[in-house]
Amino acid sequence: MKFRPVRKFRKSLLTRYVLILVVAFVFIPVLIPVSFLASWSVNLLMNPDQVIQNKRPYGTGNDIESAWHQAAAELKGASPEAVDSKLRELKKRYPDAALYWVNTAGQTRLQLPEQETVPKQWSLEDTIAFMKQRVDADPFTVVAFIGGDEQAKQGFMVLELPRKFMVIQADGRSSDSRFYGVFLAILLGAFVLLSYLFFSDIRKRLLRLEAGMTRQGPDGLPSPIQQGRADEIGRLEQAFNDMVFELKDSRQREHEEEELRKSLISHLSHDLRTPLTVLGSHLYSLRQESLTEQGQQSLALMETKISDLSGLMDHLLSYNLLSSGRYAMTIERLDVLRLVRESAAAWYPVWEKAGITADIELPEEPLYWKIDAQGFRRVLDNLFQNLVRHAGSGRYAGIAVEPRGGARALVISDQGPGMQAVSSASGAGLGLQIVDLLLREMGLARDTVSTDTGTKVYLYPSQKLNES
Amino acid sequence: MMPITNLLYIEDDLEIGEWVSSNLQDRGYAVNWLKSGEQAVEKAADCQLVILDVMLPGLDGFTIGGRLKQQYPELPVLMLSARTSIDDKLQGLKFADDYLTKPFHPDELAARIEVLLRRSGGSADPEPLRLKHLLVYEKENRILDQNTGEEIVLTGKQFHIFAYLLRHLGQILTKEQIYEAVWNEPYLDGDKTLMVHIRHLREKLEQDPANPEVIETIRGIGYRVRA
Repeated sequence: MKFRPVRKFRKSLLTRYVLILVVAFVFIPVLIPVSFLASWSVNLLMNPDQVIQNKRPYGTGNDIESAWHQAAAELKGASPEAVDSKLRELKKRYPDAALYWVNTAGQTRLQLPEQETVPKQWSLEDTIAFMKQRVDADPFTVVAFIGGDEQAKQGFMVLELPRKFMVIQADGRSSDSRFYGVFLAILLGAFVLLSYLFFSDIRKRLLRLEAGMTRQGPDGLPSPIQQGRADEIGRLEQAFNDMVFELKDSRQREHEEEELRKSLISHLSHDLRTPLTVLGSHLYSLRQESLTEQGQQSLALMETKISDLSGLMDHLLSYNLLSSGRYAMTIERLDVLRLVRESAAAWYPVWEKAGITADIELPEEPLYWKIDAQGFRRVLDNLFQNLVRHAGSGRYAGIAVEPRGGARALVISDQGPGMQAVSSASGAGLGLQIVDLLLREMGLARDTVSTDTGTKVYLYPSQKLNES
Repeated sequence: MMPITNLLYIEDDLEIGEWVSSNLQDRGYAVNWLKSGEQAVEKAADCQLVILDVMLPGLDGFTIGGRLKQQYPELPVLMLSARTSIDDKLQGLKFADDYLTKPFHPDELAARIEVLLRRSGGSADPEPLRLKHLLVYEKENRILDQNTGEEIVLTGKQFHIFAYLLRHLGQILTKEQIYEAVWNEPYLDGDKTLMVHIRHLREKLEQDPANPEVIETIRGIGYRVRA
């Protein structure tokens, strides 16, 4: 695959996500003031009055203090009645405050409103205690000499305002930060949502890819999947599709090869067997003629050789198919003994003719192995055929079930000269190789114990799993 | 004069064709030998069995056999082929009644033809089948004891079992095969029903049921009836 960094970079999932992150980070300094502004304007829209209400009703402490001192100074030389009326006037301005004045003799004059705690006659100690108490205390207290200073000898006037009327109302401010929080949350949420959508899109495509990969078409191969955007996943989809096409291609080639091989074998078999049949027919015709003893013997030998040759051809072609893995098997859980009985039934007449006594000791209960019926029949046929050809002199064919290696084994025994003895008929090697190939495919094993008084062939599952 | 059994034989190899037809004619069959399958369906109309090669010029044996079976489902078809692979045999046995591979012995071919004709009831042989002391008239479903001259009456199942053994004359049949053919359901392990029926059947058929001669027991394998 060619490396195209720019295109790749532009279409990369990583790029897309990094873009989302960058946008999120770059916009933080922009978004925070925007959120302030937004929350302020929303605040203004929702509570236009509250903003005004929020202002301190009497101004700051300094405002009150200077206003009070100014009012006191203006009363320079004023009569007590004038002071009273001024206080009443001031009371209107400060409705929440307590006002009173004390004349230079220390007598409390007008109180607005009347207070129990205010002494009627101020002693020196009262005055000092009062001054000490009211420093930074609640109520907020302003004391001013009437006439501007103590030189005026007009006494002093007091304003007591509970501090709750001076505290700035926090309501407006708190609603401000709430909106700000909401806006930040919305922005954060938008970012999370974007990330979620991004990843859920990836997830959805990956799941679809997975489903597509596991779905099998009619030919047992995965079907190609629809391609989406050309990013990493898109390329993965394309790679998968390429793989599927390659697989289909190779399956097709394999199938063609298989057909070719099968047809070759069929033709080969036909072309070899037809002359053999003709040969056999002429031998048969010869048999009708009067021949010498030696002639008859030659004929019998030729007939045997023809049948050997035919068997050998069979083996050769089977071996060819088997060793190239072209032998189709259907592994099923089957009763082996039933197959053995059926196969023995077919071979029984052959044994009878060859003077072989069959000794079949099979248990009543079935023996289940996972095997291919055709393959297993083939194994039995080859073994029985070997028995007739190479161990016929023993005049004995035994079939039984015996324990071996923790499993139950099928045992085929003869009383022939053993496998070390040279047999007159050839081709046993190939037959056994076919047996072994078939057994291996079915997860079975073969053990052969051969002495000069007989051979025992044990067949049993090579894994414990096979027998169940 | 007994009627002659007509065989249709399709074979492209001249030497083999000549030899097989003459051999079968010697055995008393009328053989109609075709060198290709072109007229097979028309010629099969008045024959009792078809012997069919696979590798033929033009249409192959599988195709011809399929067509013959479609036209005459009851007509037995014996494939006689040099193709010996399992695939070929399985393909052939989808429609054919038997599959014999070349090279073959003419006696085996004749024996298989006999079995197929008997099974299909197409045998022109009116003679009853002789089994030891029994005379079996297959067409009339009648069994006669030659010693006593009496007819032996079998129950339904006994008759089915015996008929199945007769259809596979000379063949050893396992108890599973007999059970599944007669009862038409899968054999269950350890089922003694078949043994019981065979015992009753022997009590009726055999001269000495303890030493059966008609229905042989092949120890460890199954049963057989031999001509």
